[in-house]
Amino acid sequence: MKKLFFLLTIAFMVALLGLGGQAMAASSIVVAVDAPPRMMNPHGSDADSNLSVMANFFDGLMQRKGSDAIFAPALALRYEHPDLVTWKFFLRKGVKFHNGNPFTAADVKFSFERLSDPKVSEFINTGKIIASIDIIDDYTVVIKTKTPIPWFANNLHQVNIMDKESTESRSVGEVQQVPIGTGAYKFVEWIKGSYVKMEANEGYWEGAPPIKKVELKPIKEPSTRFAALVSGQVDLASGVPVELYEKVVKNPKLQVINRPARRSIFLALGSKPGSAWEDIRVRKAMYMAINEDEIIEKIMRGHAAPAAQIPDPPTIGYNASIKRLAYNPEEAKKLLKEAGYENGFDITLTGPNDRYVQDEKIAEAVVKYLAKVGINARLDVKPKAVFFPEVFEGKLEFYLIGWFDGTFDMGRTFFKLIHTRDKEKGFGSLNGANFTNPDIDTLLEATASMVDQEKRKGVLQYINKLAMVGSIACIPLHYQQDIYAIQKDRGVKFQPRPDRWMVFKEISKK
Amino acid sequence: MLRSCLIYSMFTYIVRRLIQGIVVLLAVSFICFIVFRSAGDPAVSMAGQYATFQDIEEVRKVFGLDKPYYIQYIRFIANALQGNFGLSFVNRVPALPLILERLPATVELATCAIFISVVFGVGLGVLVSLKPYLVRNRLIMAGSLFNISMPTFLTGILLIMVFAVYLKILPPFGRGETVTIGFWRTGFLTWSGIKHLILPAFTLGMYQLAVLLRLTRAGMREVLTEEYIKTAWAKGLPPRKVIFKHALRNVLIPVVTMTGLQFGELIAFSFVTELIFQWPGAGNLLLTSIFEQDQPVIVTYVMLAALVILTINIIVDILYAILNPKIRYE
Repeated sequence: MKKLFFLLTIAFMVALLGLGGQAMAASSIVVAVDAPPRMMNPHGSDADSNLSVMANFFDGLMQRKGSDAIFAPALALRYEHPDLVTWKFFLRKGVKFHNGNPFTAADVKFSFERLSDPKVSEFINTGKIIASIDIIDDYTVVIKTKTPIPWFANNLHQVNIMDKESTESRSVGEVQQVPIGTGAYKFVEWIKGSYVKMEANEGYWEGAPPIKKVELKPIKEPSTRFAALVSGQVDLASGVPVELYEKVVKNPKLQVINRPARRSIFLALGSKPGSAWEDIRVRKAMYMAINEDEIIEKIMRGHAAPAAQIPDPPTIGYNASIKRLAYNPEEAKKLLKEAGYENGFDITLTGPNDRYVQDEKIAEAVVKYLAKVGINARLDVKPKAVFFPEVFEGKLEFYLIGWFDGTFDMGRTFFKLIHTRDKEKGFGSLNGANFTNPDIDTLLEATASMVDQEKRKGVLQYINKLAMVGSIACIPLHYQQDIYAIQKDRGVKFQPRPDRWMVFKEISKK
Repeated sequence: MLRSCLIYSMFTYIVRRLIQGIVVLLAVSFICFIVFRSAGDPAVSMAGQYATFQDIEEVRKVFGLDKPYYIQYIRFIANALQGNFGLSFVNRVPALPLILERLPATVELATCAIFISVVFGVGLGVLVSLKPYLVRNRLIMAGSLFNISMPTFLTGILLIMVFAVYLKILPPFGRGETVTIGFWRTGFLTWSGIKHLILPAFTLGMYQLAVLLRLTRAGMREVLTEEYIKTAWAKGLPPRKVIFKHALRNVLIPVVTMTGLQFGELIAFSFVTELIFQWPGAGNLLLTSIFEQDQPVIVTYVMLAALVILTINIIVDILYAILNPKIRYE
């Protein structure tokens, strides 16, 4: 009886062995990502994990191409910007949605109006800055903004155009689950938590994409993602965990691709009146007390690059002349003594523990570095869902946060992060520690109405330096690194994008 | 007379249990609602990264989050009574169907796990109890202790490493190919589906297996020394009859209780296993929802889990009476 059972078990295992190994067609690809898409409504989530998937089903008026994020026309052939608030778009002709409906100006108007409906959109902010949308003819649209928005066009790769007819005629629930766009891939099936399947749109206006079938599998647990790669179940994976990096590199079947991420991690610091850190010498001392090189080496395991400012090089406003203050605890102590805080002071460092690579560990390290120069920092880490509302409420003293700007324009970001909090005008909503510098505010507000892009760039660079060096508005730490892995022998050609999106029309396979 | 009396007492007992159940459900929903509502402001993430203060205020209004907690709660209960548990903050679709869609995967996983744990747990338990001092049986007992103390997380990762990464005979994650019958998406009907089920089912059932094994063994050891078993042996009954009919039957009561209680728990708390194996079940959804603070989904899930556990408890209580009519309901 028992023997029979064991024999059966063995027979079963052998049978499974025979069935192992999946046949993979040349023109199909299986991709593992670390975050699942939330929905198939292109406006419903502004998280990159969602936009990444939407970029395959939909097109914006403009797009960002390839590993350098080159700004290029998509559904709009070109645009004009005759005055500060007017944007005139000339649309591409002959484009069809996946259901056969032609793409026209009415779809553009519909899509932009939909942005300001909180029930279906997280792009409310973009929706609300629009004053009017006028259809000139089927292929010409004029959008006017309420106030001058210099980065309006730069953001258009994130605003996907939906089919007016099928979005209105289908139920809200169905629109959330079945996308109909103009994109390079058509939607096949989405089993939540399992996969999203898509197939090539042979009639795509940019030409049919090389890979015909795509299966996107979210695998949240890092060690499982690793197992999926090593066992050959996926061709390409994003989010290789730094803890398992060495193992992936050593595996002869896998190739690792590193790319500096756009996101920088920094410590936001206010200038609250009456606080110790109102004094710039104290902020400077805190900056110099933190050993960023050690954080990169020990905590990030080398997978980060030191940052001296918030924006990354391709962003308008990046200023190459800004340098990091060197790690120097002795100098920091001297500065604290000068400022009258020889015996230190109390401060609370808040931060998320589920948002950025090693976020909690970085915060722990910062607390220890500050203790070495006598500053008594209390650590307060929490889930991002609790942390971010606190930033919005502006009741924090000192916190760890990360940022990159999807529009590649520092102006928009600085209005959020550095401008004095102003509920009326909606400025400074992510300036959670109440930093304020009237000079920066004035200059920032002036950039909004600058037409000359070069001049604007110069002013933004100046503001950047003023914030980072002149007033130490925050302590920049590092840029993260994105790590991908591909199966070497499957001929996958992949170049990661700066925004981490998986745009499959840019990937090919032998 | 005695029989009708029994049925009557059982009836009142069930009614009482049902009322208790409703009270428990209300309490669960209330605590859950308050805890998650005060944990953070969902409107902030729902308004998008670049939202202004006004944008957030508007989102709050549209989703009724600007009202005091008690009004929000009353509204929630009133809607819940009509089967409407609200819209998910993250997916913006109704919360209940979102969970129900994921439930088949979890139920199949839990059923398989409980099947494995009962078959192996009770089987090995009986085996071990007959000759407890054999080296093999001692090893089994030691192994079960090891299992009880090992976290599910580790069991899962070890199984993946051995069977998927090194031996490459089983897939490391996911559910494989599935077939849809009506609303039920099943993995039982395809080879790929069954292959994908093995590792997670063992991971999920492992702890239960060890518990049932030890429970069965302890019960059997006790029962086997009883006079009536000795009599049965003396009568010359075949070992099969003595062991299974006379001894095991009396051991089964705690085993059934345990299995029943654990089945509910397996469904409600399978999320660790589901996370490791990227199993597209309801537990996985719960974890995602907690990370993203999708409060309507969390509350609905917890209420659903409470409902399942309550129902199973009541069923177990009734099964008791069938297995052992001496049990009375006070």
